[in-house]
Amino acid sequence: MHLSDIQNMLQQQGYITDKAVAMSVFLSLQLQKPLLIEGPAGVGKTEIAKVMATALQTDLIRLQCYEGLDATHALYEWNYQRQLLHLKMTEHDTHSIDEKEKTIFSDAFLMKRPLLQAITHHQKPVLLIDEIDRSDEEFESFLLEVLSEWQITIPETGTIKATHIPQVILTSNRTRELSEALRRRCLYLYIDYPDFDKEWLIVKNKVPGIDAKLAEQITRFMQQLRTMKLEKTPGIAETIDWATALATLHIAHLDKSIIEQTLGVVLKEWSDTRQVQLSLSELLEKTGIHSKVSSE
Amino acid sequence: MNRLTSLSKNIIQFSRYLRLQGFTVGIEEEALILQSLQHFDFSSHELFFLLLKTIICRSKAQLDAFDNLFNEYWKQLNKAVDAKQKEAAKKKPPTPREQFASLNAWLHGHRHQEIEETSGYSIHESLSQKDFAAVPDNEVSELMKAIQHLSKRLAAKSNRRYEVSNKHDLPHLRATLRKNLRRGGELIEIVHRRPKRNRVKLLMLCDVSKSMELYSAFLLQFMYAFQQAYSRMETFVFSTSLKRVTPMLKLNSFRETLDLLSKEQEGWHGGTRIGESLNTFVKDYGRKLIDSKTIVIILSDGWDTGKIDLLEKSMQMIHARSKKVIWLNPLAGYTAWRPEVAGMKAALPYVDVFAAVYNIESLRKLGRWL
Repeated sequence: MHLSDIQNMLQQQGYITDKAVAMSVFLSLQLQKPLLIEGPAGVGKTEIAKVMATALQTDLIRLQCYEGLDATHALYEWNYQRQLLHLKMTEHDTHSIDEKEKTIFSDAFLMKRPLLQAITHHQKPVLLIDEIDRSDEEFESFLLEVLSEWQITIPETGTIKATHIPQVILTSNRTRELSEALRRRCLYLYIDYPDFDKEWLIVKNKVPGIDAKLAEQITRFMQQLRTMKLEKTPGIAETIDWATALATLHIAHLDKSIIEQTLGVVLKEWSDTRQVQLSLSELLEKTGIHSKVSSE
Repeated sequence: MNRLTSLSKNIIQFSRYLRLQGFTVGIEEEALILQSLQHFDFSSHELFFLLLKTIICRSKAQLDAFDNLFNEYWKQLNKAVDAKQKEAAKKKPPTPREQFASLNAWLHGHRHQEIEETSGYSIHESLSQKDFAAVPDNEVSELMKAIQHLSKRLAAKSNRRYEVSNKHDLPHLRATLRKNLRRGGELIEIVHRRPKRNRVKLLMLCDVSKSMELYSAFLLQFMYAFQQAYSRMETFVFSTSLKRVTPMLKLNSFRETLDLLSKEQEGWHGGTRIGESLNTFVKDYGRKLIDSKTIVIILSDGWDTGKIDLLEKSMQMIHARSKKVIWLNPLAGYTAWRPEVAGMKAALPYVDVFAAVYNIESLRKLGRWL
């Protein structure tokens, strides 16, 4: 496998990348190392995992982190209800207690959570651990253990070893610093907002049938928008949403009233909307849209 | 083969150079680099650079610093190789360029321990007279992180009790049995429980008098960050009089907060009457805002020009009603400092935790005492 293969592979799945991203994905595959991706919201961190799964023709197993996430939610849990019911139903059987115990602590009563799913999967899956920064430090160190040992011990049944070591992608929005130990286990990739050319390509790629002129205007406007000090800077996801919306409305070029009407697709914070509305003319002038529209 | 050896040597030397710059590059990374080099032809300088960058960097800051270090290193390496060749005939002349001095010295075998980056908050940074516009907001997010950590500790502190919950955490056996009794004791529906969340409230009283002026920038950031990170919190500022600033600190942007605060700044950087101010607080808000679940944080240097007995009385009342009183004094960071200011002396008996807080670092240390 070559670096260019990776880039083509990602490209075929509609993921426009630069060399740094391709290199990280390539090395992560080659060296069997987890890839830690950081960057602002909406730049396509999670998307990489999805694209990788499709490209490798395997399944994506996702563990969404949140505050208070603990081992039982990430690994496994016994299905108590089923166990109790089973015991009740076999109450009058002549099986010994040992046998009964063996039955209720078997695979059928085990609810596999993402991490256990990932290591017992029938083929090498892509394991996405999303927004790891939202979980707490306890969970992080627990994760470290799993990521290095690739085995999980269940007291009732014993140790389960990974049949295939999953391809791991971790994402973080940097709301909290991750531990040095976790960083050292992973390759690190930072994805920033794309530059004009890249974003333009993405828009054209993701919204087929969009007018080339409109795509350019949208991209320019978004690039300009990101230079403003906003509470929530819009990401690529917003750009694509907006482009799709405008293309669906059969709009050929941007103008002030259209932007005002559809601003809600791009900005999700009231104060941001207000701020942009107030400086819209200036923004349009900088983008070079205003003059064109008025001359037409 | 020869080429490969020299390349691997270079990589190892480069890693050692990076280590001096504060990167954590271990043997593992070096091995990974050499291992992954086999997948590439060496023709592309750019690929080689990207490869090293991807394997070595572990954070955004490192990514940002890497480009420069890489370029400098290989540039200097070429020079150093030349220099070594010349050295056979003649001793190497001292390097002229000052900015590469340390790198050069290192490449030629002399280590300098002085390469040390320090970044920190200067406690001597003073604001121009009442001009909040000069307050930087770059440290607010950093502060917020530290405070979030702190407040989590605060909240996690005293609760090992459980409350019923429908999130699947722990089965609540007792409630489960009770609930299923009506079915004759068949356990079908399971009730869950989880650690009870702690509802600690915070109350911050911040001294903004003249003597605290040096720390205004830090205080503003501190108050703002704390309010943002912890929602069950009330904040007051005082100098000669008392003012509630909670709503202003709840704004989304630090700039807006500063704007609002600077509009109402009579009393900022004036004299201090801690006693009177605290007494007003106790009279007007005390019963409503302080209860046994409230931690009171007072930020002041204790310099008081008002009535000491009033201060003592108010402190006594605050201490009696609250869960804990924490007094944070920016001056206490100096080693020579003793709590000999009259106001401070009077207040100390009623303080549970007394600590120095004047920058982020000291704030992190505070976590241990809470």
